[in-house]
Amino acid sequence: MGTLMKISIFAFAALTAAFNPVHAADPTGEAMAATCAACHGTHGKLDVVEFMPLAALSEKEFVRAMQDFRSGKRPATLMGHVANGFSDIEIRAMAKYFANVE
Amino acid sequence: MLNRRDFLKAGAGLALVAALPARAASGTGHVVIIGGGVGGATAAKYLKLYNPALRVTVIEANRSYIRPYGSSEVLTGHVSMDDLVVSYDALKSKYGVEFVFDTVVGFDPAKKQVRTAGRQSIAYDKLIVSPGISLQYQAIPGYSAVVAETRAPSGWIPGTQTALLTKQLRAMRPGGSFVIVAPPNPYRCPPGPYERAALVTEWMRRHNPTGKVLILDPKDSFVTDATMQLGWHRLYGYDIPDSYLSDMPAGVKNSGKPSPIEWVRAMDGGATERIDARTLTVKTKQGAVKADVLNIIPPMKAGKLAFDMGLTDASGWCPVDRRSFESSVHKNVFVIGDASIADAMPKSGFSANNQAKVTARAIVDQLAGRAPGEPVWSNTCYALAGSDYGLFVADVFRLKDGKIARVPGERYLPIDASPAKIRLAAAYQQAWLKTFTEDCFA
Repeated sequence: MGTLMKISIFAFAALTAAFNPVHAADPTGEAMAATCAACHGTHGKLDVVEFMPLAALSEKEFVRAMQDFRSGKRPATLMGHVANGFSDIEIRAMAKYFANVE
Repeated sequence: MLNRRDFLKAGAGLALVAALPARAASGTGHVVIIGGGVGGATAAKYLKLYNPALRVTVIEANRSYIRPYGSSEVLTGHVSMDDLVVSYDALKSKYGVEFVFDTVVGFDPAKKQVRTAGRQSIAYDKLIVSPGISLQYQAIPGYSAVVAETRAPSGWIPGTQTALLTKQLRAMRPGGSFVIVAPPNPYRCPPGPYERAALVTEWMRRHNPTGKVLILDPKDSFVTDATMQLGWHRLYGYDIPDSYLSDMPAGVKNSGKPSPIEWVRAMDGGATERIDARTLTVKTKQGAVKADVLNIIPPMKAGKLAFDMGLTDASGWCPVDRRSFESSVHKNVFVIGDASIADAMPKSGFSANNQAKVTARAIVDQLAGRAPGEPVWSNTCYALAGSDYGLFVADVFRLKDGKIARVPGERYLPIDASPAKIRLAAAYQQAWLKTFTEDCFA
């Protein structure tokens, strides 16, 4: 009984996570994107060559970059540490925000 | 100078010079920001980005800003004092932020007004206070603001003391000692004193090769300590203390020879008891150290204005609701940047910039009657162990049980980072100075 209970709670939690695109307690894409701006420019726009401009980057490219930074697949100085601070759902919300910057 | 009671009285019962804020359209209002540093400037810009209909007024004593971040590079001549000057023009012309160049001398939280030395009364719907730090010169016996301006500069708020310290370094006798008295926690720019030590050591190799840098510290550790000391070891032959050796990459071996840079921790008697300004002598538990140039970075507390406005607690810093940085003392007043109590977030420009954005969003939401969203902040402090040797601490922060906590995980340059990564981190530090200034001020 105890085991069954645990399993069903786990399954319910997994379902909730899967079906809620953004959890109620997640910051908005805009709020998360604002944390990037101190290096990557306001709205992801900048004119130095050292950092990646994020404005109008495709969602797919942003998500892949962040996931690869997080897993260590893509070498980084500090982006691995930063990417580690965000969940997959949050990374997608940020990606959507930057993709829509004109 | 007014004491706190006079200060609060001075804000009350005055005829309004500035027009009362118009709140016709829902969600608009007048946000007044005291302090045009990193926190205040970023808040002004992002308030206008989030709601261009808001009226935003910055009250600032100086016509332009002198940036503290990167200001140790003045000592080595990498940049000049002029390079530190940041204009407010873009905030005015591009975003429509209004500026009042004046000093706040009165505050009436009940009437939601502040009063300036120029006898203006300015009414607000929401007030952001970003007062920075005050240097507690008197906390070190023998030290004072006068001594700092004439004999032993701190150079921690850039200006005349930075220029004096630069002049003293250039004029130092061959083989002289440049002594840095490091501050106790918490203080502005945690890796800063150690980066300054590194840059001065590097400068002396070329210009005063027998000169020495000595750091006297009331602490036993500092942010980035392992990676910074590895940089000193590689660049200047610094011997790494035993307690750090086990963290070092294979092949790192102390030479036992004297090094041009030395760090004396609290456990080794590094805490300063008093100084003699006339002879430039620092008295520590261990004995007396005679300096040729004495750079004292004293203990810090919230900027004086925060005390005058009654926003501080017994710690000397400002308690806030961590979600919005609204003051725990006065409603509709928000304290951001170094002066605020922000738990795991360091007192850095990057933190102030991120706090300003979260607060700007919270204020826009409050004025529009919306519930505040979930906050998130980040911080990156780049630091140099040499011009081409960069390192950093990088964190993401979340609200956890009403406090700000760092998301667990790696935060420093890996101790086994490749030379290419180390060089890249130094290049990023230089690029960051530009992009960061733009995000705050342009």
